[in-house]
Amino acid sequence: MRKVLKGNGAVAEAVRLARAEVISAYPITPQTSIIEEIASMVSRGSLEAQFIKVESEHSALAGCIAAASAGARTFTATSAQGLALMHELIHWAAGGRLPIVLADVNRAMAPGWSIWTDQNDTLSQRDTGWMQVYCQSSQEVVDSVVQAYKVSERVLLPTMVVLDAFFLSHTYEDVEVPEQVMVDRFLPPLELPHRMDMERPAALGNLVFPDRYMEFREKMDLAHGVALGVWEEVGREWGELTGRPYGLVEEYRMDGAELVLVTAATTASTARPVIDALREAGVPAGLLRLRVFRPFPAERIRAILGGRKKVVILDRNCSFGHHGIFHQEIKSALYELPHGEQPVLHGIIAGLGGRDITPDDLHGMLDGAWSGKITAPVTWWDVLPVKDRERAAVTMVEGG
Amino acid sequence: MVELNPKYLEDLPLTSYSDNSTELLRTGTWKYVQPTYEDKLPACSHLCPAGNDISKAMDLVARGQLDAAARLWRSANPLPATLGRVCPHPCESECNRNAFGGAIAIHAMERFLGDRSFDPAFLPERAPSTGKKVAVVGGGPAGIAAAYNLALAGHGVEVLDDKPAPGGYLRTGIPDYRLPREILDREIALVEHAGVTFTCGTRVGRDVGLDELRERFDAVIVAVGFHRARPLGVPGEDHPHVFNGVELLERILLGERPELPRRMAVVGGGNTAMDVARSLLRIGVEPVVVYRRSKLEMPAIPAEVDEAMAEGIEFNFLTAPSRVVVEDGRVTGLECVKMKLGEPDESGRRRPVPVEGSEFVVPVDGVVTAIGESADLEFLPEAARDGWRVAADARLVTPEEGVFAAGDVVSGAGTVTAAVGEGRRVAAVVHTWLTRGSLPDEAPPVQGLWDRPVNLDRTVYVEQLNPAYFTEVPRPELPELDPVERRSSFAEVMGGFTEAEAVAEARRCLVCGTCNECCNCLYFCPDVAIARRGDAFGFDIDADHCKGCGICVEECPRDALSLMEVKS
Repeated sequence: MRKVLKGNGAVAEAVRLARAEVISAYPITPQTSIIEEIASMVSRGSLEAQFIKVESEHSALAGCIAAASAGARTFTATSAQGLALMHELIHWAAGGRLPIVLADVNRAMAPGWSIWTDQNDTLSQRDTGWMQVYCQSSQEVVDSVVQAYKVSERVLLPTMVVLDAFFLSHTYEDVEVPEQVMVDRFLPPLELPHRMDMERPAALGNLVFPDRYMEFREKMDLAHGVALGVWEEVGREWGELTGRPYGLVEEYRMDGAELVLVTAATTASTARPVIDALREAGVPAGLLRLRVFRPFPAERIRAILGGRKKVVILDRNCSFGHHGIFHQEIKSALYELPHGEQPVLHGIIAGLGGRDITPDDLHGMLDGAWSGKITAPVTWWDVLPVKDRERAAVTMVEGG
Repeated sequence: MVELNPKYLEDLPLTSYSDNSTELLRTGTWKYVQPTYEDKLPACSHLCPAGNDISKAMDLVARGQLDAAARLWRSANPLPATLGRVCPHPCESECNRNAFGGAIAIHAMERFLGDRSFDPAFLPERAPSTGKKVAVVGGGPAGIAAAYNLALAGHGVEVLDDKPAPGGYLRTGIPDYRLPREILDREIALVEHAGVTFTCGTRVGRDVGLDELRERFDAVIVAVGFHRARPLGVPGEDHPHVFNGVELLERILLGERPELPRRMAVVGGGNTAMDVARSLLRIGVEPVVVYRRSKLEMPAIPAEVDEAMAEGIEFNFLTAPSRVVVEDGRVTGLECVKMKLGEPDESGRRRPVPVEGSEFVVPVDGVVTAIGESADLEFLPEAARDGWRVAADARLVTPEEGVFAAGDVVSGAGTVTAAVGEGRRVAAVVHTWLTRGSLPDEAPPVQGLWDRPVNLDRTVYVEQLNPAYFTEVPRPELPELDPVERRSSFAEVMGGFTEAEAVAEARRCLVCGTCNECCNCLYFCPDVAIARRGDAFGFDIDADHCKGCGICVEECPRDALSLMEVKS
């Protein structure tokens, strides 16, 4: 059925289709309308679930962890500070090998206080053991949330489905909402192998001595490796059912591309006409969109980018002290390429705190890299010029 | 059993878990505070002058243990069926249920439990005889409560009363439509059954002297109450159609139907005035209430005033009598002055001030005075008197050794309920004196006499409750006789609960400050450190594993747990 949905509405529709049984959540802008819509569904009876109102995000995820441990299919949603507050339990969910699905609406971290988009909130949770999928449209949101349950429940790791604040969360689009019967066939009820059993009482997450701790961690790492294949398999299966296949990454006009823009989320939509225009102008440009970020498809990316001339990596995030996070990840993936196949990398940090990334910006980045105007390995895009780096870094302005 | 030393990684569980007992982990050693079950005083009982253990009884009723609740209520209060009819029930004014649908009908519950327990099987077992003897002077509510509790404690108790039957003001001052005589008689019969002897028609000071009593008994309790009406102090008061309200009421209630003028002014705003006016109405006299302050300042029980108004009785507020108008030997009216309210007086009520030149005549054929009563204490030595009161200290002890006092003659509180409470307190003092030969520094608070431990320093108000657990449930309506029918009959006005209604109402009770085994603590304890007691009521906390997180205290809906600092 076709519906006009904003990104947040698409999340709610998908949670309904996935028949989540326990939703434990706390409101935060710009995520709030996700859980509001789900609460309405539960109240109307269109979703048979327990909706637990809690007093903080920490408790929201604790609720999901408890319910998931008991074998329920669970969901929560949050943003920025809320996700940060969950951090301790983010580890518990992954370490407990619980297939929780969380929608995070990417919002910049405070201070300064911001409600607008960037990716530092989710990327700060990169090393917790969660899987992460970055979406570019409401359609992809619906499709990815349902797929996330399937993958999570296969590999027993939780997944964050990520969407940009406002550009996606609050923008209405035409969405094909799958039929319930089809989703039910695709996603059978959860059978958690290690669910709590009243007949066999046990303490969860108990003390593990140094002689065994590593093995539990290695199992998580192995699960991420397995998950790469499962995401591909599930994305193909979804394509067969809906005509919308998904991969770990998405390539656009990559045939013969010598200049590649690598980015994620809604910026990829902005980039396509820019790529088209460059191609028309005779520049061999292409686009590589990152979708599944954890597990990281390093091999796939290496195969795609090996032998290209120049790669511009657009990060809507920053790992302070060591440039953009996508940039780091891609650089490490490409290290194994033979010397002659290593492309020149240009990292661009742009769009933090919700600043627009326009087609002109993208054109400027690609044209600059292609023409040689951009030479630095890392560029902060469209910011005030710096005269004296040290002064700019640490000097407090008088009266400021 | 989980294999934690497998040969291959695939044989290790997905995540760490242990099916070994966690009892080894003594998490209790971490704590610096620990929860303790500690019942506190509910707001209702805090305000109950008779000291009824309301929350505990409500919990028993809610569980369907109606007889146990009735037994508890009657265990120290000999007049529940009476108080359940005549008490002004201050308990309901602060009931925490007010915030969630209206106060619990505690007054009606007291009546229900009182009416249920007229059988002697409901009496507590009497303690073995102490060989001590106590005389109680005055068979009103204070004297009855004192005598009942002392008799149950094993003392020989004799009540001396100058009227033909015991009950004091309950019998001579409270009309049948509020308290049917049969109810009073049954309660007094139970008091006799508990071991109290009533000697009626004997007036101390006339038929027997105080000194003789002190010789014959180990202790004497003075609880004679207020019976002497105060005069109006206006010209014309000596006319035969100007009646003393206390005496007139007593005659009517004993069944006399004297020839009375057709229309009579009833002067006063207290319970006697209301009882007189409403009784006159029922025997065909048209009463007109004259009161010098406004309705707000009336000392009468507000419900009684409302019921009188509903019955159509005329009220003249801010009106003070200045002269009884007598023409040709007959009363033709009561001359009055209009009053206005000035600054508050020592009672906190605004003082009435005459409006100059506002004299007017209320046309009546007779007048009844009901402006307050005082005690007749002439039988006491001078040292034991303090104006119109008995000179008793905070211990309820008079300067005469072995002579104690209770009720209106001490407190002047003026309600049956306060009298019952003080009777209980004086009984405790006398009991200590007779059994240990010592006196406490002061008479214990009446709630301190409960047989379960309660922290009397902490009263539970709505702020102390966890409102997450309470939803609004409306207060039930109680049956009431139609006002038109009431005008011509002494039939009881208020109806009572059926058994089902009583249980439903008790389930509405929040049981403030009183553990009712709701089990929230048990369910919420993250360390499984709380366990039900096997056969006994309540729970035990396993100190070795309680880590003092305080969740049980927070989640207790009714503040029956407290967090205490751990003393190392």
